[in-house]
Amino acid sequence: MTVTSAGTLAILLAAVALVTLVMRPRGVSTVDFYLAGQRVGVATNALAICGDYFSAASFLGVAAAVYVSGLDGVWYAVGFAAGFVPVLLFVAAPLRRFGEFSIPDFLGRRLASERVRLVAVGVVQIVILSYLVPQAVGSGITWQLLVGHGLPGLSAYATGVLLSTAVVAALVAFGGMRGTTWTQAIQFLLLLGALVWLAVAVAGSGFHYSGAVADLSAEPLANPVHDEAGWHLQPETNQLDPTEPATFGQPGAAYGPLAQFALILTLVMGTAGLPHVMNRYFTSPTGTAARMTTVWVLGLAGLFYALAVMLGTAARQQIAAAVEGHPWLEELTVDGVLRVPEHALPVLGRIYGGDSGLAVVAAGALVAVMSTIAGLLLAAAASWGHDVYERHINPRATQRQAVWAGRTSTVVAALAAGALAIAMQPEDITPGVPSIVAAMVTWSFAIAGSALTPVFVLAIWWRGTTAAGATAGMVVGGLVSVTMFVVGALPIGPGLGEMLMTPTLVAAPLAGLVTWLVSRSTTPPDDVERQWLVLHGTAADRHAERLARLTIASAEPTQRRRGRGRAARREEERDADR
Amino acid sequence: MEHDDDDDDEHDTPAEVDAAFRTLRRVAITHFVLFLAAVMGVPALSLTLDWWSGGRLAGGMSPGFAMAAFGLYAFFLVIGLAAATLSSAVEARMLGGRNDDDDYPADGELP
Repeated sequence: MTVTSAGTLAILLAAVALVTLVMRPRGVSTVDFYLAGQRVGVATNALAICGDYFSAASFLGVAAAVYVSGLDGVWYAVGFAAGFVPVLLFVAAPLRRFGEFSIPDFLGRRLASERVRLVAVGVVQIVILSYLVPQAVGSGITWQLLVGHGLPGLSAYATGVLLSTAVVAALVAFGGMRGTTWTQAIQFLLLLGALVWLAVAVAGSGFHYSGAVADLSAEPLANPVHDEAGWHLQPETNQLDPTEPATFGQPGAAYGPLAQFALILTLVMGTAGLPHVMNRYFTSPTGTAARMTTVWVLGLAGLFYALAVMLGTAARQQIAAAVEGHPWLEELTVDGVLRVPEHALPVLGRIYGGDSGLAVVAAGALVAVMSTIAGLLLAAAASWGHDVYERHINPRATQRQAVWAGRTSTVVAALAAGALAIAMQPEDITPGVPSIVAAMVTWSFAIAGSALTPVFVLAIWWRGTTAAGATAGMVVGGLVSVTMFVVGALPIGPGLGEMLMTPTLVAAPLAGLVTWLVSRSTTPPDDVERQWLVLHGTAADRHAERLARLTIASAEPTQRRRGRGRAARREEERDADR
Repeated sequence: MEHDDDDDDEHDTPAEVDAAFRTLRRVAITHFVLFLAAVMGVPALSLTLDWWSGGRLAGGMSPGFAMAAFGLYAFFLVIGLAAATLSSAVEARMLGGRNDDDDYPADGELP
């Protein structure tokens, strides 16, 4: 690690720690710790949601998937960005208006069932853990490239995993949602800044995007593989037509016809079931604000993913051309193609900005990892601390005890994710998927979209949803998606395996159908009509807006008086001077 | 419907909410169908029409790659903004009885 790289990282971590310190919750209320007092503005919340959502999979994974698979990798960007449209249409405003702490809390109260709450906690924890592990893997990969060596007795990869999870767990346990909101907003701006800088540097060097796609598509797509003969390039098999070579600009380099739709649908459906993203909507002041927050997120996501796709394309062309002039690339590449595709953006940063450029991009990657880990740990804290500890383990817990239960659960979840990331060997999985980090996050989207989203949407939009139906739907969606993963991981032939690894296409409709069928034969909660008024009425929004107006109006005379006082003092000072 | 005091303005009747709910559901489903047609249509066209993924726009990028690389994100923003604006307008018109927030004086004194 150079002095520049170390300095950049140190400044970054110090800035994040400072913001957490300044913005930490002053009291020990659970509403403050989990929901930042429900007073987060539209723009701030949109930036924080982006910080939550744009993880290592978005920053390193999308560019890596495009780098390896061309157009088939772009579907990751499309799916990740598209996921917020269903959130806006079906979830954001009613979820906020119902106003709870977490997804299990929402389902438990909406369906008046502690069993639903506990089943939802189980599903949420699986989603969180399967999302946390790839973040830790991403930080390990970044540390490997940036630093290259580890703490005594640890590999560079393990050191990256341990340090990132430990630092974020400490910040979250200390800062709660209020501190995390601001750090995530700032982290997203840093992340976007790194991406914009790299895009400007690449474009400024004369890179021609459209021409690059055409040039790369003119020859068969080949990627490095390691076998008995050592490292060598191997042409990708065209999954749509094995007699034709796969190319960068055409579909088929990674996915067969059905798998392409399955991947996009998995990502589209999964977003509405991601606990760390949905929990953010509870922090909005009103349902309308939650809806407008999502519009902002759609704009920011579009910008982010368009840049990530462009940079993945640029990396494919520019790194191959740069090998001759940059000897350090030889150990990272095979005939001009990177061995680890997640290195695409950091390597591009080093080509265009030297060690400083590498540090900026690597810092962006670590920031992406840290902000997402923070959101996930908070979601874990909310579901364990609020839904399990406060309700089932210690119903008479004081606010301080409940907050400490949340803090403890952040540490436990971080430890579990770190241990799993270290136990996994990314090199063993990488050859099977376009990007290991993006693929692992997709599994999390698949469980969320199969087990939670159908039940969630039905609970919001269908009065007839019952606790038994929701429980059955979550169990079926979760079991079917996990079973399909396991079968998909077996050697069952090209095309089918990829489709089974993105199971939402099958599992979500099945979960929805089971929820509907079981609900039809059971009874909805007694107070469903009252709940409907809260979910789809705007009385609470209007009340909150009226209070805000009154607060502003009552503050104005005070400010005017203060202003008049300051003016009078200035006049007296001028008289005295004269 | 008459709303005589502030309490009325901060309560919705079941009939109002049900009517708004049905309208919002229609808005959401209409926009979702459009969204799904676009997000599934782009890969479908890539699989079925040669010119979509093999043709060349100015500069050399295919129409299919251009849509996946930036066209779809602009579409998501437009459809999201349209749905949010329409949904908020529906709620403002159908819920709360008195819809003109400007009735409240700027100094915060309630009528």
